[in-house]
This record gives sequence, structure tokens and C-alpha cells, in this order.
Amino acid sequence: MLQFAIKRLGQSIVLILIVTMITFFLMNLAPGGPSSMMRMDATEEERAAISEQLGLDDPIPIRYGKWLIDAMQGDLGLSLSSGQEVTDRILERFPFTLQLTMWTIVLSIIFGVLFGIISATNRNTWKDHTINFGSVIGLSVPSFWLAIMMILLFSVQLKWLPSSGVGEGSLLDQFKASIMPVVILSTATLPTIVRFTRSSMLEVITQNYIRTSRAKGIKERTVIYSHALRNALIPVISIIGVLIPRLLSGAVIVESVFGWPGMGRLIVEAAQSRDYNLVMGVTVIVTVLVVVCNFIVDIIYSKVDPRVKNMG
Amino acid sequence: MRKYILIAIVFFLAILSACASGNPDKKGTENAANGASKGEPKDGGEVFIPIVGDPIFNPWHPNAYAESNIVNRIIFQGLTKPGLDNLPSPSLAEEWSTSEDGLIWTFKLKQGVKWHDGEEFTAKDVAFTFNELVLDASLGSNGASNYKALDSVAVVDPYTVEFRLNRPFASLPAYLAFNSEILPAHKFEDVENPWELTSFNKEAPIGTGPFKFEKAISGQSVKVTRFDDFHNGKAHLDAVTFKILPDVNTQIAQALSNELDIFVLEDKSSLERVKSAENINLVSSDITRYFWIALDLENPKFQDVKVRQAMLHAIDRQAIIDSVLGGYGNIANAAITPDQEKFYKQDVTSYAYNPEKAKALLEEAGWKDSDGDGILDKNGEKFSFTFDIALQGDLESIAVLVQQYLKEAGFDVKLNTLEWNAMIQKNVIDRDFEMILNWWSYPSDPDVLAQYHSSNAQSGNNIPGYKSDTLDALLEKGQAVSDPDERAVVYNEIQEYMSENLPYLYLWYPQELSIRNKRLQDVPDIHFGGSLHYINEWWIQN
Repeated sequence: MLQFAIKRLGQSIVLILIVTMITFFLMNLAPGGPSSMMRMDATEEERAAISEQLGLDDPIPIRYGKWLIDAMQGDLGLSLSSGQEVTDRILERFPFTLQLTMWTIVLSIIFGVLFGIISATNRNTWKDHTINFGSVIGLSVPSFWLAIMMILLFSVQLKWLPSSGVGEGSLLDQFKASIMPVVILSTATLPTIVRFTRSSMLEVITQNYIRTSRAKGIKERTVIYSHALRNALIPVISIIGVLIPRLLSGAVIVESVFGWPGMGRLIVEAAQSRDYNLVMGVTVIVTVLVVVCNFIVDIIYSKVDPRVKNMG
Repeated sequence: MRKYILIAIVFFLAILSACASGNPDKKGTENAANGASKGEPKDGGEVFIPIVGDPIFNPWHPNAYAESNIVNRIIFQGLTKPGLDNLPSPSLAEEWSTSEDGLIWTFKLKQGVKWHDGEEFTAKDVAFTFNELVLDASLGSNGASNYKALDSVAVVDPYTVEFRLNRPFASLPAYLAFNSEILPAHKFEDVENPWELTSFNKEAPIGTGPFKFEKAISGQSVKVTRFDDFHNGKAHLDAVTFKILPDVNTQIAQALSNELDIFVLEDKSSLERVKSAENINLVSSDITRYFWIALDLENPKFQDVKVRQAMLHAIDRQAIIDSVLGGYGNIANAAITPDQEKFYKQDVTSYAYNPEKAKALLEEAGWKDSDGDGILDKNGEKFSFTFDIALQGDLESIAVLVQQYLKEAGFDVKLNTLEWNAMIQKNVIDRDFEMILNWWSYPSDPDVLAQYHSSNAQSGNNIPGYKSDTLDALLEKGQAVSDPDERAVVYNEIQEYMSENLPYLYLWYPQELSIRNKRLQDVPDIHFGGSLHYINEWWIQN
């Protein structure tokens, strides 16, 4: 296990280095520059002054080197657009994204696995068809449209839920404010989990040991939930491992529509305004998150399925 | 199953409600006379205004964009502000005068003005703002290029400052009213890089305006509360909250549900829905902005003025105004906008939509379709070029129509869309384009030298690269005379010149359409940005 962890750590460091290098060069080679230099009416002198101030006059490899040395000491630099510490800007937003991610994942796992099982055990019945139909709808309805429709219904017409923000004050307000964003995000993640659960469940319940369990006279409920599900969940865990980092890096559309101060908007604003330091900071954080999530998924794997343990 | 029936019902309701609110029931009327007061002003209440991003509380910061300007306008103040007649009126300065040679402007400052932290505002703050921030070329302050004529600001006594110029600059009082707010010197003492002073710029700004900073939550909101020691009549409102809402549909939904009070409706696609709302007044107003097409005037094809005139005759500008702008705009023939009543001249050369005339002008210039392929040619060369357009607001939908009209006239136009930032790099900095379409906004003053003078042709704001001694001389004269009546004569001549010679192809003066909740009272009937200078007079009718 320790050897496995050390090997993974080494791989991760190389991966992070490669990702930052590619991002740094791509970002800096893209046409344009920091927005402060790209005002329509800025003069040549203003652009030159700002470029010097932001240290953009050095060649890109040298700037990457400087950035890397600082980053390894934990200094991600100052945001080119606001002058704040990059770390502060990310920390301001991250808890809100974490909040949405957590609820979305919890909701998606509970209902996704449940619907997946119902769908698989009632294959080709009206239950299965309804769930499949719902999944297709969930995946294909554009989230911005659904979001605006929900705002019009629940905020404008019924006045039950706030149309934007994270809710100030009481926990109830905060809960109410997160309902719509979580539901919208779940409409995209839930069907994925439903479909993975369904297909792996279908595969598992046709296997011999399930037939044996049934033949032994074990209750159908026990067969499905304790014998079949355990094995059927393995691919589901890996898909959750993919979904979590994706959610943690933010959901631009949902955040924009609901005025939710998450990571997605931060990333898009950073890229549009060529805030190189902020883009790099976010890249590092998101890469680390992906690596960590994958690592955790691998560990959970080995707990759920002991066969995985030796496969490092 | 029940769950799904429920979801289906919710969907159906959602669609219904969308249809219902999209259907204009003609109850709401477009009301431009919103400023009329309904009785005595009442104190109290909070107003909600949307902005699209986190503001920077420093008007001179290179990253202070539109969202920052809105907030800074009520926290800080300039020496002057735009009057309701659009001419500069007193704010932190009570009166001003200019020396005979126009090189020294003396401003008398208002006494007894307090910063939000209780310190007194004096001439020292004015001198600091200009000498240390604006005139320090290494800082690249936002808008510093507006003050190229300024050498220094001298403190005469605590309530008098002198602006010392290197050439006459009649527009100085108008420019001082435009995003040129004064900052407190005592907060910036011993600060090496003022743009990195986040304790001020992001966390706790101090101004002299009617509202003082309360709190900012990144990505969510900025709240300011009434400043009781405001020198120009305490505000009626208790507080103003700026909500950070990048999505225009959310903004409109919140306007309908009384969660937002006032903002500019940039996207006209929701116009009908807003018009039918009973809680909203729509106010249209002129702004100092014009849309234009710039042609690369180094390119011989575009150098013949007849070609440029023909292009304007070929474009049905009124049709584009009616469709894309929802009718809110007026055809432009020069650069001085109609809101500047003192200087605007309507009676200049104009170019009605007339494809026949376009064809005739092009033939005079030697361009005609000799091989019948639908594309103009001259000496074997086809008239084909690329039209670069930035992905921003309405620009793309406008460009598609313009391309269509030009094609009908025989130009082979290829459309090339660019992200905004990349467009600036390619078209403005590298000057790599054949045709572009964009707009200029400028302070309420007819001095448009920056966009037209030949000295700005290669790298400045004279994007088409137009060079004319006649126009240069007129623009310089406009800066040198300070008497408004004399200036009006000069700028009338400039507009005539522009409309005949078309340094840019003028498209239209857009009108700003703003949404105002009916509970808001005494908001002056001017554009939204201007009305913020009078926010201390706003009040809420219950």
C-alpha cells in the first residue's frame, strides 16, 4: 500500500508539472493580454507601462521558471486583474463550490443508484422506460433554459425561492438558495449515475453467484442490495471519481444564472481577462483535486473489491 | 411514477409561465417621464442595482471597468460632475476659471467636505490624485491619456488648486466629470504600488460621496450605506446594494420580481416581456456613444471617398436600428452625439439607403461588376476583403446584416469573428484589419481629437489611420478656444467635414434603455450612469 502511494505521488508530481507547463504556454501564447492592457482606448504608452508593471516583458520560459519557483514555495502570486493574492481569490470562492458539489453528489448518488437499481431489476417494464426517458431528458435539456424556467416559476411566480445569491443569514435561507442550483446541477449528473448503475447491475445480476444466492433461497432484497450491488458499484465509484473534480472546478452556466460565487465564473473571468496568475493558480488547484480524487477512488475501490488491492 | 407526473406538471407550468410572461398584454406603458416627483421625498429604504463582476474601488485602477465605474460614482466624487444639461457642473469644486492663454485652470474647492473616515478633504488630495497617480506614466492609470495636456496640479491654498497645462484644453472641466474621482491622499501615503493596495482598492475604500462602503462579498454583492456627513444634501436612501449578476436573464427575472430597481437593458431580446411588466418603467435616453465602421485607410481600395460614401449608401442603417436595436437609436453622420445639444449639428451630409446611388458612386470610382459574377472589380482585381468582428453584445448580429448589405452592393465580404481580447490585439494594437465595426464612448464633450488626429494614426485611437491637415487644424482649434459659443462653431465645422469625408463610416447613435422600478422616485431623466451622480436625491415610494 505504501509503495503504491509513493508511486502514485511521483506520477502525480510529473502530471502536475506537465499540466502547468502546457497551461502556462497556451495561456501566454493566446492572442491578447491582460484586460488592463486591452482597453479599446488605452494608448501605446499605457500598455507598455502596465506590461512592465506586471512583469510581462520577459520571455515566456523565464516567466514560467519564475512562476514555478514561487509556486513551489506556496506563492501563487498576485491576480493581474485585482492585485489580490491568487490564493485568497480562490479561497473566497472555493467553499461555495464545495457546498454545491457536496449536495449535488449526495443527491445524485442516492437517487442515481436507487433509480439505477429499480431500472435494472425491472428491465423493460414501464418503470425502466420512465427512468430511461427521464435520464435522456435530464441530459439533453440545456441547463440555462431549465434554470431560467425554474427562476420564473419558483422565484417570480410563486416567490418560494430566491432567484440568486447564496442566501444571507439563517441556515434556512442558505438552504433555500442552494435548492435550485443543486437541482439543476443534478439533472446533468444524476442520469450519468443512473445509467452506469443500471448497466453494471444488469451485468452483475446475470452472473452465476447471484443465481447461486437466489438458489440458496436468500431474499431477493438481500441478493440485490448486499450481493449484487457491492460489485455493481465499482464502475459507479469510478464515474463519481470523475464527476467530483468536474463539479469542483465549477459550473459556469449555473453559477452565472444564479449569481452563485463559485469557481466556474472565476475561471472563465480569469481566462477572458488573461489573468495569467489566476488561471495558473486555478489550474494547479484543480489538477491537485483531480489527482487526489482519483487516489481516493482507488483506495475505495480496493475496499469494495479486494481483488483490486494488488493491481496498483 | 407519481414523481414523474409531478415533474411533467412542473415542466408544463414552467413553459406556460414563460409563455405568459413573454406575451405583451400592453398594460405597461413606456414611460419616459419617470423623474416626476410623487409628493414629498421619504427617507429610508434600500435600492438594488446589478453589476456584472467584482468592482475595484479605485477609479484610476487599470482594471476598473464599467462595473467599477458604477459603484465608484457613488462612493467617490470628482471635482465636477455632468449637469442635467450635460455641461460640467460643480461637485467637489465650487467654481473654476481659466487664464487668458488657457494654460492655467484654477479650481476653488468646496470647504467642509469630509472623507468617510472623518478627515477633511483639501487641495492636497486633488494634487495627490493627479500628480502621484494620473501623471505617473509608469502606473498606466486608467484614463491617464485623457490628461495628456496636464503638466501638474499645484496647491495654491487648502481650498484652491491650479491645473497647469502644456497646451490649451477647453474640455478639462468635462473630463474631470468623467470617471476622474479624487482619492484620499492620507490613505496612500508611503504606498509603493497603489494598484496592489488591496486594503483600499478591494476591502475598505474611503470617498467623499453620498454613500460609504459597508461590505463586499466576492462574486455576490457590494453594499454601501448612507454617509450622514455628505456635503451636498444627505441621501434619502439608507443603503444601496450592488448585486453581482452576470446573466442578463436573471437580471430581468429579478426586475420583474422587484428584486432589482434600476439598470441598463443591453439585450433588447427581452424588450416585450419588460414592456408588459406593471412594476417597471422603461426610460430611453441619449448617451455619448456612436457606432462606426473603420476601414484600413492605408489600403488603396478604401482611400477613395466615393467608395466609402457608396458603402454607407448600400447599408440600410435604419433597418438595422429597427431590428437589432429595437428602434432605440438614431442614424449618425458624424462623431458628435445628439445629447451634446450645444455642439451637435443635425444638418450635415447624410447617406440614405440607396443601392442605385451606391452603384453609381462605385462606378465613378472605377468599380463595377464587369464579368457578371456579382462581385465588383477594377483592373482585374476583385473588391474582396475580410470584416473582423468581436464577439460582444449585439456586434455579431449587426455585422451579419452589414455583410449582407455590402454583398448586395457587390462587395465580397468575409466575416471573421474574434474574442474581444484577441480582437484588440489584432485590430487595435497590431493594426491588422481591413474592416472592423465597433463603437466609441467618450466624456460629454465634443473634443474627439484622440480618435481623429493624424498623430494618433499609427498606434493611438485613430484606428482607421485617417490623416488630414484640415481636420487636424480644426480639432486643435477646438481644444484651444474655451468659449462654448466659439467652440460650437468649430465643432459644427468638424461635423460637416466628417460627414463629407467619412474618416469612419458612421452608423448610429444608440439610445440607452434603462429599467426602473416604479417605486423609485426623483431619478433624473438622463442616462443611468449620469443619474448616479444624483443618487442622493433618489427616494422610494412605498
